[in-house]
Amino acid sequence: MATPLETEPAAVQTAAGPGEDRPAYRGTLRYALTKLGGALLSIGMVIVATFFLFRLIPGDPVIAYTRDVPLSPDQIELLRRQMGLDKPLMQQFADFVLRTLQFDLGTSYEYKRPVTDLIGERVGPTLLLTGVGLFIAVSLGLWQGTRAAWHHGGRLDRFSTGVSLVLWSVPTFWLGLLLLMVLGAGIGPIPGLFPTRGMESVDAPDGFGYVLDVAHHMVLPCLTLVAVVYAQYLLVMRSSLLDEIGQDYVTTARAKGLRDDMVRRRHAIPNALLPTVTLVFIHIGFVVGGAVSVETVYSWPGLGLLFYEAIKGPDFAVMQGTFMVVCVAVIIMNTLADVAYHVLDPRVRSA
Amino acid sequence: MSAVTWARRRSALARFWQQYRRQRAGVVGAVVLLVFVVLAVITPLITDRTGMDVTKATGDKMAPPSLEFLLGTDESGRSILLMILWGSRVSLLIGFLSALLSMVIGTVVGIAAGHFRGWASATLMRITDWFLVLPSLVLALVLSAILGGSTSTIILAIGITSWASTARLIRAQTLAVEARPYIERSKALGAGHWHVMTRHVLPNVAPLVLANTTLQVASAIVAESTLAFLGADSGQASWGQLLRGSYDWGAATAGAWWYILAPGLCIVAVVLAFTLCGRAMEAVLNPRLRGVSR
Amino acid sequence: MGKWLARLTALGVALVLAAPVTAAQAADPATTGKKTVRIGSIQSVDSMNPFLAVRLIAGQLQRWTYMFLTAPDPKTLKPGPDLAESWESSDDGLTWTFKIRQAKWSDGQPVTAHDAAWTFNKIMTDDAAKTGNGPAVENFETVTATDDRTLVIKTKAPQASMLSNPIPIVPKHIWEKVGDMATFENETYPAVTNGAYIPIEHKKDNYVKLKANPDYWQGKPKIDELQVIFYENPEAAIAGLKKGDIDLIGRLAAPQFEAGAGDPNIVQWNTPGRRAAYLQINHGATTSDDKEIGDGHPALKDPKVRQAIHHAIDKQALVDQVQNGLAVPANGSIVPPMYTDFFWEATGADKISFDLAKANQILDEAGYKKGDDGVRTMPDGKRKLEMRFSIHTDTPTEDKLAQFLTGWFKEIGITLTTRKLDSNKFTEETGSTALFDIAISGWSVNPDPEEVLATHLCSRRPTPTGEGGGTESFYCDKQYEDLYQSQLKELDATKRADMIKQMQQRLYTDAPVIAIYYPNNLELYRKDRITSITPIPAGKQGEGILYGGASGYPMITLDAPAVATGASAEGGGSNTGMIIGIAAAAVVVLGVGGFLLSRRRKTTSDERE
Repeated sequence: MATPLETEPAAVQTAAGPGEDRPAYRGTLRYALTKLGGALLSIGMVIVATFFLFRLIPGDPVIAYTRDVPLSPDQIELLRRQMGLDKPLMQQFADFVLRTLQFDLGTSYEYKRPVTDLIGERVGPTLLLTGVGLFIAVSLGLWQGTRAAWHHGGRLDRFSTGVSLVLWSVPTFWLGLLLLMVLGAGIGPIPGLFPTRGMESVDAPDGFGYVLDVAHHMVLPCLTLVAVVYAQYLLVMRSSLLDEIGQDYVTTARAKGLRDDMVRRRHAIPNALLPTVTLVFIHIGFVVGGAVSVETVYSWPGLGLLFYEAIKGPDFAVMQGTFMVVCVAVIIMNTLADVAYHVLDPRVRSA
Repeated sequence: MSAVTWARRRSALARFWQQYRRQRAGVVGAVVLLVFVVLAVITPLITDRTGMDVTKATGDKMAPPSLEFLLGTDESGRSILLMILWGSRVSLLIGFLSALLSMVIGTVVGIAAGHFRGWASATLMRITDWFLVLPSLVLALVLSAILGGSTSTIILAIGITSWASTARLIRAQTLAVEARPYIERSKALGAGHWHVMTRHVLPNVAPLVLANTTLQVASAIVAESTLAFLGADSGQASWGQLLRGSYDWGAATAGAWWYILAPGLCIVAVVLAFTLCGRAMEAVLNPRLRGVSR
Repeated sequence: MGKWLARLTALGVALVLAAPVTAAQAADPATTGKKTVRIGSIQSVDSMNPFLAVRLIAGQLQRWTYMFLTAPDPKTLKPGPDLAESWESSDDGLTWTFKIRQAKWSDGQPVTAHDAAWTFNKIMTDDAAKTGNGPAVENFETVTATDDRTLVIKTKAPQASMLSNPIPIVPKHIWEKVGDMATFENETYPAVTNGAYIPIEHKKDNYVKLKANPDYWQGKPKIDELQVIFYENPEAAIAGLKKGDIDLIGRLAAPQFEAGAGDPNIVQWNTPGRRAAYLQINHGATTSDDKEIGDGHPALKDPKVRQAIHHAIDKQALVDQVQNGLAVPANGSIVPPMYTDFFWEATGADKISFDLAKANQILDEAGYKKGDDGVRTMPDGKRKLEMRFSIHTDTPTEDKLAQFLTGWFKEIGITLTTRKLDSNKFTEETGSTALFDIAISGWSVNPDPEEVLATHLCSRRPTPTGEGGGTESFYCDKQYEDLYQSQLKELDATKRADMIKQMQQRLYTDAPVIAIYYPNNLELYRKDRITSITPIPAGKQGEGILYGGASGYPMITLDAPAVATGASAEGGGSNTGMIIGIAAAAVVVLGVGGFLLSRRRKTTSDERE
């Protein structure tokens, strides 16, 4: 799920831009502390929302837990006690908050293991996939966005903007399935070139061979993720660079006879980069959403797949654990980006 | 409202259309959209719904495109074309309604947050930021898993998770509008909050809201198909459902490319059309962007 | 930035092109002369701890790696020796004495009756250990090892299913050290087992590797290594089979099975299944104290309406359309034809056939009049025959089935709306709160059908407080109940089978459940990789199943050519599509490096534990 493309620069600018009800005397530290407070509040909201959201579920988790296994009422009663479902709601809430703060996210109904352990195992692959995907998407987006803006209105601009808009309109899972079928399974005379599942082969060699093996498995998932998410970086970079080009200082620099290339590299790009990079972090949630689809299609053993399996189960303990972890991670990333932005952009600081 | 106001609105609209026409991509998008919407509206008139009933299906299973079935058939011998036509009604409806929901929430929150000051605004913005940051697909999946699958749940899940960026945009716009001198004057003359918000701010932000909503429809349609694929379906034969069906019934391994490509390409076409329209509208309406594209 | 990217790309090209080569080289010495078979599974292992695991794949792994008290005979599926060489029961049927086989655990320790006694007692006394197979010991009074070779089980009541006990026997000397059973993962490798294979590696959600046990009592398996590879996406699993990444995959849905057609190397193994799919009808659900519960449609209390509904189901069409012809239409009840001893089907006048006119006629005669909109109303004119059909989310076949039922029911004046429920809600609404009209249901039947028969007993109905008791129908019928009690005590196999058939007949005519079809067991395997495999039951050609049965026998009989494994299939022709992935692959390498570092750190910390 995406947020509309073109509104983002505006959103970012108001998010951190000047002219807000923030007096000028506040220092960076003060600003960082405010943001930290905000982040903590947000995390608190996630915890509260999670608890009540998941209590809305009609149905008895114990019954679901024991489906297809005939149990006596005694056994069911026992399970209910084991799961702490016999206590009053407010006490369940207090227990929940307390346990969450101790990183105890409960036990999976499906795996009978602590959710924290399950998440711990899955974090690595997801970080790898989204990290690499994001890195490629951002590099590609910024690079293409810069070129598009510089050749504004030209063939290259129209082409790259067009391609990115089309890719942005493609549902992630559909693209993933198409790539899996064409490049993974092979179609007609073309043999399958890439693995169809997972992160590594069963017989993966050790050392450098292992790196190659994982890289080989990663090509398709990464390609899918990049194709869908890079468009927004391209478009945002393009429009913020266009903004910069319209500024007086660029005109002045050009008038002074500086080479185009120099103006671009020394002045316009660094300035345009900031809002874009902040955007990368603000919309990291979008990448996470893409990761759920991608991991599902390619059986990539990450958090997204865990989440999808939990929904299918449904395994509510895992679902709420994953949900909280993902949300908190996104909030933290965001806050860091916000503070970094504040430190880096002189215009914001002096405001 | 006086005749003068109307005349002014009309001429503004004419000016908008003139500028919009210059955006070639926007025009293409609008035409594509028009075709899809018209088809969706007249589907009940030109086709027979009984073809959607599996017990009345006439075709072979997964038959390739032919004169009888222009886009082939599905796993029960139903015409894919027919399913796409009826599916467009569901997909567009979900897209429009959830964008509408998102627009209403976003506009109300945005204007309120821009108009009021102090803790009210701060609280609203905190909630907005919260929603803006959270991974919306994950939240929508959780919502639809908890609320159970139905068209209204899906609309609710998408609407609730996608309004934050609208609210942000509208708030910024509201701040800009309220800084204008005539609002100051009107306040001095005793205009209440309600009056200022509905009579002055809303008409001024409305065009931008519209452009933003157009973009929202696009993401809502993608979101619907993704939710359908991940198992949170509306129970109606939408395009996302069709794709899910092609996946469930092994269309890819059976080589039934028409079953996979047709609904997917429809989604891409409509989403792209909405995006192009929205971008064109924004380019016309948003002075900042207009300044850029000179 | 351009130059930088170009350099990276070049690096990526080099690496990716090199990848299959190095991988093949690295794999070669290890796999030459080794016989490996890879099994695909669209389900990952939930737990390697047999006391906790409930998934089918975990159960299969147990069958391949542990001995059970008894195991189904590969030919007849009747109980045969496994850990117990022989056994006898007392005249009252309450005391069973098993003679335990002389065997060794894979760590060299002898297998004794004490291991078995410890395993059963653990489940009987530790609630956490009940998770996997709790109900199997519910009726046990005491389990004792009188000496190393003798195990005595005393039961509270006679138990005809004693010889199909589903509990793997674990080594006492290893397991008695386990503290909290609920959190014990049993992830130490090589594991200590005594079955045909020994687990040597488990990468969660990726694969499990097993090696042949040279000391297995039926002889060392012919292959050296058995691997189980997990797929999330069934389509990807089929693609993997076609490419040679896996050699066998079972429990397929019809579309995936059909995808195996036309490949000269793939054998389509289509055999009668052990599952029955049926409709559960809310015929007036009651709790165990006979109070009404739920909100079932009143018309369904009328056996005539249930009969009319039965007439409005074209089972053959459902088989053709929903199961792609890969099932057997059900003219019987809950026991599938695979179990010839217990299978019953209606014949002659008893048989209810698809006949919409007949269904309409029955409803007309019973006073359910059709309104102008074509929908019938109750004889008292108060309520329309508008019913809900509850199915699970995420089950395409149930979805399709609902579409067909809706179409036919419309013809007989009943409006059916489909409700998709996640399995939590579904189990609750159809198993304890009775908030349904008609629901889909099904049961995988064991060689001894006692378990499935018990799901239709009065005592299985929910308690007065609304706790589910495991009923599949809310059924409570005197005749059925009496038959059940008598078969329980009947130790003469033929007489008992006869009673079980009568029970099914009762279910068929009274129709608290309506059986639709028995889906076939669909499997695919590569004949270039698996040169021989014996199904269970092994008797007639093409009847037995390979994966998912109550015996691990097929996997014990596997044979494969001793060549380098399927990984080499990826080796050839890697150039065309590579180009597309190159930009991605280049940077991927960098990321992997970082990941590897973090992984390194993780492994060392694991080893420390």
